[in-house]
Amino acid sequence: MKSKSVILPKDEMPRQWYNILSDIKMNPPLGPDGKPVNPEALTPVFPMPLIEQEVSSERWIDIPEPVLDVYDIWRPSPLTRATGLEKALKTPAKIYIKNEGLSPPGSHKPNTAVPQAYYNKISGIEKITTETGAGQWGSALSFACAQFGLSCKVYMVRISFDQKPYRKTMMETWGGQCISSPSPYTKTGKDALAKDPDTPGSLAISISEAIEDAIGDKTGKSRYSLGSVLNHVMLHQSIIGLEAKKQFEIIGEYPDIVIGCAGGGSNFAGLAFPFVADKINGKEIEIYPVEPKACPTMTRSPFVYDYGDIAGYTPMLPMYSLGHNFVPAPIHAGGLRYHGMAPTVSQLIKEGLITPKSVNQLDAYKAGVLWARTEGFIPAPETNSALAAVVEEALKAKEEGREKIIVASFSGHGLLDLTAYEKYLSGEMAESVVEDDDIIKSCEVFKDYPKPEILKST
Amino acid sequence: MDPNTLERRCPRLGGSVNFSYCQTCGNRKGPCFKIFDCWWESFDVVEYLKKRLSTEEFTKLAEGRPRPKMTSLLEIIEQARQNIESSKK
Repeated sequence: MKSKSVILPKDEMPRQWYNILSDIKMNPPLGPDGKPVNPEALTPVFPMPLIEQEVSSERWIDIPEPVLDVYDIWRPSPLTRATGLEKALKTPAKIYIKNEGLSPPGSHKPNTAVPQAYYNKISGIEKITTETGAGQWGSALSFACAQFGLSCKVYMVRISFDQKPYRKTMMETWGGQCISSPSPYTKTGKDALAKDPDTPGSLAISISEAIEDAIGDKTGKSRYSLGSVLNHVMLHQSIIGLEAKKQFEIIGEYPDIVIGCAGGGSNFAGLAFPFVADKINGKEIEIYPVEPKACPTMTRSPFVYDYGDIAGYTPMLPMYSLGHNFVPAPIHAGGLRYHGMAPTVSQLIKEGLITPKSVNQLDAYKAGVLWARTEGFIPAPETNSALAAVVEEALKAKEEGREKIIVASFSGHGLLDLTAYEKYLSGEMAESVVEDDDIIKSCEVFKDYPKPEILKST
Repeated sequence: MDPNTLERRCPRLGGSVNFSYCQTCGNRKGPCFKIFDCWWESFDVVEYLKKRLSTEEFTKLAEGRPRPKMTSLLEIIEQARQNIESSKK
């Protein structure tokens, strides 16, 4: 038997995270007054070490030993060659995936949940609050808090709380407290319940409750935690790509193509950013963040300063955006549904260091099912978008007769998202693509907006 | 057909919700910012909401999109402070 996976020895696990902010120049987020936002405004919700990481431009940041000890439960994650998929596609390409679905909660989320719990712990924090929709982030944070003896309070949107009792059970098994939101513990929750005792809740209420809970703790020993988008989250996820590079070194190979699904950006960034560093230093490599065609934020939209809100009083951020008028068509990969992309990812696209791709959702599920039938694991819906791009590139390699090396991030398993598969398998899933005319029309709102300076890092 | 009885998977929550939920789970109990993209294939949700919302409400909904996390965090922190202060009174 030939091993499918490259297993990195435990003592070879990376000891530092890679910070992309050391290698790229960024337009700062702007406040309503047109001045850059000061991240220290986040001190009520984040401990200082995380705020320092949020604004750090140091290239390498040490991973604390206690964090490595917890990573050791499932890391290094295997770099697995998808020989079954290669055979099914009859492609000369070598396809590898970095399997992040093997963590205790089943996704890449604990890569940042664990260090966030640790930094809170060493800052004297005793309780972390957060919100959760489907329960994935709440599960990851509950797991992480258990590792450091922290109390974890998760406000879960009531409608999900009622629909998914197993998520609450997961969190409670790890010692987390999963509360149906709105709750009687915050003013936000009380107000919502007073207006409608039977309210099903919403993410907006849950986030407000989690933050109110954290900053309302008079002992000062509570903080809030966020699992996506921010720079320190991307930093922590870089361990995915750093491990992958070491694993390729072991087998004497290097990828031609790196692929990851791009939503809030943390999963894509985790695998891709360490390879972006190589590209900045002259390495020839293609890096593809993948999004659904139904929401083509990166692939077909302009790079502009855009407001984050309706009224226009919130900060303007440099990003790829389709404008206020754009209404994307339905897709089922929840984490991918963003109109704007994370600022770091937007910047890399603008500089030509990464090249966004889009796939339609039927192709994504088709790829996910093919993956399950050839490689065994049932992917998360978001992961399917990356796999569809892998299939596309593998078939292109077949046409060209080239033995390309492709690596993709397998961001998580889909065992808790089978309803979407059910819809696909029963033929209920619809397809839709935004027409160019719609995009041109939606972008007219930008004509009077300030344009970000086009920065080049290389 | 009463659209309020229609059901689909909510991409934000990861579970099944009916259309009536989507009309009240947004900011200030208004419609979710994703209501158009989630429902336009099922029925004429644009026309439906045009008839039920004021011109201003409809315009805000049609032109809105998710706030960047850091931005919305700053706003929520400020709101939470106000909530805590008002609870003390």
